Amino acid sequence: MKIALIGNPGAGKSLIFNQLTGLGVEVNKYPGSAIGLECGNVCYKNEKVELVDLPGIYSLDGDSEEEVLVRRFLERGGADSLISVVDATKLERNLYLLTQIAEYGLPMVIVVNMIDAAERQGLFIDTGRLGTIFGSVVLPTAAALGKNIDRILPLALTSSQPPTLRIPYDHHIEAALRSLEKTMGTPRQKNLLALQGTGDDAALRDAATSIATEIEQRHRMSVGQIIATNRHNFAQGVSAEVIKQSPEKKRFDLDSILTRAFPGIPILCLILFSLLLSVFVIGSWMEGWIVGGFTEFILTPYTNLGLPPLVERVGYSVLVAIEAGLGIAFPFVFTFYLGLSFLEDTGYMTRAAFLADRSMHRLGLHGEAIIPMVIGFGCAVPAVMSLRILKTRREQTIAAFLITLVPCSARTVVIAGIVAAFVGIIWAFSIYLIVLILIIITAIVMSRLTPGEQFGMIVEMPSLRKPSAKLVLQKSWFRIKEFLFIAIPLLIATSVFLGLFQYFGVIDMFQSLVAPITVSLLGLPAYASTALLFGIFRKELAFETLAVLSGTADLGSVMTSVQLYTFAIVSILFIPCISTVAVLYKQLGAKIALLTSVYSLFLGMLIGVIINILMK
Amino acid sequence: MRTSLREDYLEAILIHTGRFSYPPSAQDLGKALNIDEGDVHTHMDELAHHGDISQHDDGSITLTDQGTATGRQIIKKHETLQCFLSDILGMDRSSASDEACKIEHAVSDETIDRLGDYLRSPVSQPPSGNQVNPERSCLRGVRVHDSCRYAHSLVDFEEGERLVVRDILGRGCSKRLLDLGVVPGQLVVIKRKLRNRSIVVQVKDCDVALSPENASAICVERMP
Repeated sequence: MKIALIGNPGAGKSLIFNQLTGLGVEVNKYPGSAIGLECGNVCYKNEKVELVDLPGIYSLDGDSEEEVLVRRFLERGGADSLISVVDATKLERNLYLLTQIAEYGLPMVIVVNMIDAAERQGLFIDTGRLGTIFGSVVLPTAAALGKNIDRILPLALTSSQPPTLRIPYDHHIEAALRSLEKTMGTPRQKNLLALQGTGDDAALRDAATSIATEIEQRHRMSVGQIIATNRHNFAQGVSAEVIKQSPEKKRFDLDSILTRAFPGIPILCLILFSLLLSVFVIGSWMEGWIVGGFTEFILTPYTNLGLPPLVERVGYSVLVAIEAGLGIAFPFVFTFYLGLSFLEDTGYMTRAAFLADRSMHRLGLHGEAIIPMVIGFGCAVPAVMSLRILKTRREQTIAAFLITLVPCSARTVVIAGIVAAFVGIIWAFSIYLIVLILIIITAIVMSRLTPGEQFGMIVEMPSLRKPSAKLVLQKSWFRIKEFLFIAIPLLIATSVFLGLFQYFGVIDMFQSLVAPITVSLLGLPAYASTALLFGIFRKELAFETLAVLSGTADLGSVMTSVQLYTFAIVSILFIPCISTVAVLYKQLGAKIALLTSVYSLFLGMLIGVIINILMK
Repeated sequence: MRTSLREDYLEAILIHTGRFSYPPSAQDLGKALNIDEGDVHTHMDELAHHGDISQHDDGSITLTDQGTATGRQIIKKHETLQCFLSDILGMDRSSASDEACKIEHAVSDETIDRLGDYLRSPVSQPPSGNQVNPERSCLRGVRVHDSCRYAHSLVDFEEGERLVVRDILGRGCSKRLLDLGVVPGQLVVIKRKLRNRSIVVQVKDCDVALSPENASAICVERMP
């Protein structure tokens, strides 16, 4: 028995899913999609039930990645029955999707969630009447309080039935549906999709297109618009029938502060700044513990084993890679994810997107692009993965270039460890300023050069709410797992290669080969090139390698301030780390991965040379 | 048979099939093209010989793949030309259609493709003073421009105003809007408007944030 939870984003599906499944949730990638489906098993009366939490969607006709995924899931019989979750406080809009789900005719029960919040707003919902209209059983719940959650599964197993609802469409649409049903023999729901130009059946789509063209000419409206209007009107009628509204109490709305330019934008800056600062503080503290512990209890005992040199070299590289992965993943990336997931679950990120829309437009993007950018401050890998929330290739390309320049937590370590420590705090901030200017210039150039059209942002701003600690933790955990899966194998492979190169003297050859560039153009000591090379592997390794190669942790005594400054800026700009390049390749293709690498290499060298010439 | 006549036949058969879900009889075709029914039969034989249609024993006909393709191309030419003549040049719709019927046989595929691109591009605004509403475009999938011509758009109103949606321009990018409930006849309230005209509207008890270009594509009127 396979049951899927389906509903609008923010209807409380994930919370219900979590309460139903408890632990032991796994994320499976649905074939042909980058989106993970959360699956969990539940035992009910000795019967195994598989629960799937489908991504939140607004429509089953749409073409966003989530919508296509859910549509395919339903069409291919992914679930035996459905639990449709609707948000009681936004019933009318939620009913729109519910009418579409009902048209698929799968057995379902309707869960009207957040009934408590609705009652606080003076909305009382006649769930019995709603059930009669749809021909399904309806259960009111309050997931935040755990109310009625235990009744969902028994009800879904015993009382699921195919809905009997039939939405009355415009008579031209109805005629078209009948004619398609007669000539093509396809069911109503497929024909509806075909009239809007979607579906796998080419013959049906062709037949539907010619009818659709005619309807559009007669109505001066697209078929999609007519169908959506019909459904919304139907939903409006239903909600008017089932909702009893007592006069609304005027309540304080936090959005009256948050979405205004003032004080909204200062608040946004403050929130982002404190997020980054706390990640940095907590991260450095934790990293010290992890790296220290790892060195003391694993690395040192290992080097004391006295293995044959080649074997020791390879083993050492593997261990260092693991240390590097853990040293960045848990302290910085995980802490960052916690903060980010918390912000996302409160619903604040959509407010941030709204406020940032204007500045993002200047960069050739729109408000939603602030999310990958902010994630980029934590780590570029998840930032690149989150690029898929941007809808066009153009936006993804521009944002990819910018993300590779955003100072991630590893680069922050370089800036803090080299510049803040040996040159001065003000100089450390000046690096941020330079990077910011470079990002803006890059964006302006990129938005001119990148082909494609610009679409704006259409985003629902969900009501602000208190996030559930468990969900935040779980979300962060899934994200860090994804990160480790990508980063750790790459780190190990690169580390082993570099270790072997070093063993066989390739690194020294490289060092003397590029020495003219390092020494005369950048004004750095020759061994700096090796440190930069290691930086590709993991950014803050550039700093650590430099300390090792120069033979002292007190870098100020072996290099001048200008050298340290130049080294820091070149190392943070040039070539994104290997994990980023790998995700870029996976997400956007070899061309973009190569272009961003070449671009940042060029940019890093250029700025390094300029600084060297100016400040020498 | 003249090429233009052949194309007219294929176009008529395709339109008829689309409209009634079955192919036309000789009588239907005669009526549609204003040709004597006897002549239609001769022409049908010629079309069949050409490989455009297949004739069946009961006297009915169906288009072959080749016929369908040619017919589609002609319909596309017709629509593009009509759209150009009426929406850009401002001719009235029926004379635009008549005119398109003549040009469609002579015009090359490339011209039509380029004309289609031109119509779809945001620069092809009708000349000022021309009272043609561009989003009323007869072409399917034409993406339309950023301003409402008659009604006011969302960005012309202030915070707190209660408005009724009249129309949404730009079919390509409005699916999400439709799904969120921004459909003609819907009541919306402007909750927030920033200086750059980014807008938050309340639709069906939900807040939706819009970029200026999306907001200005939504034509609205004040609540009566």
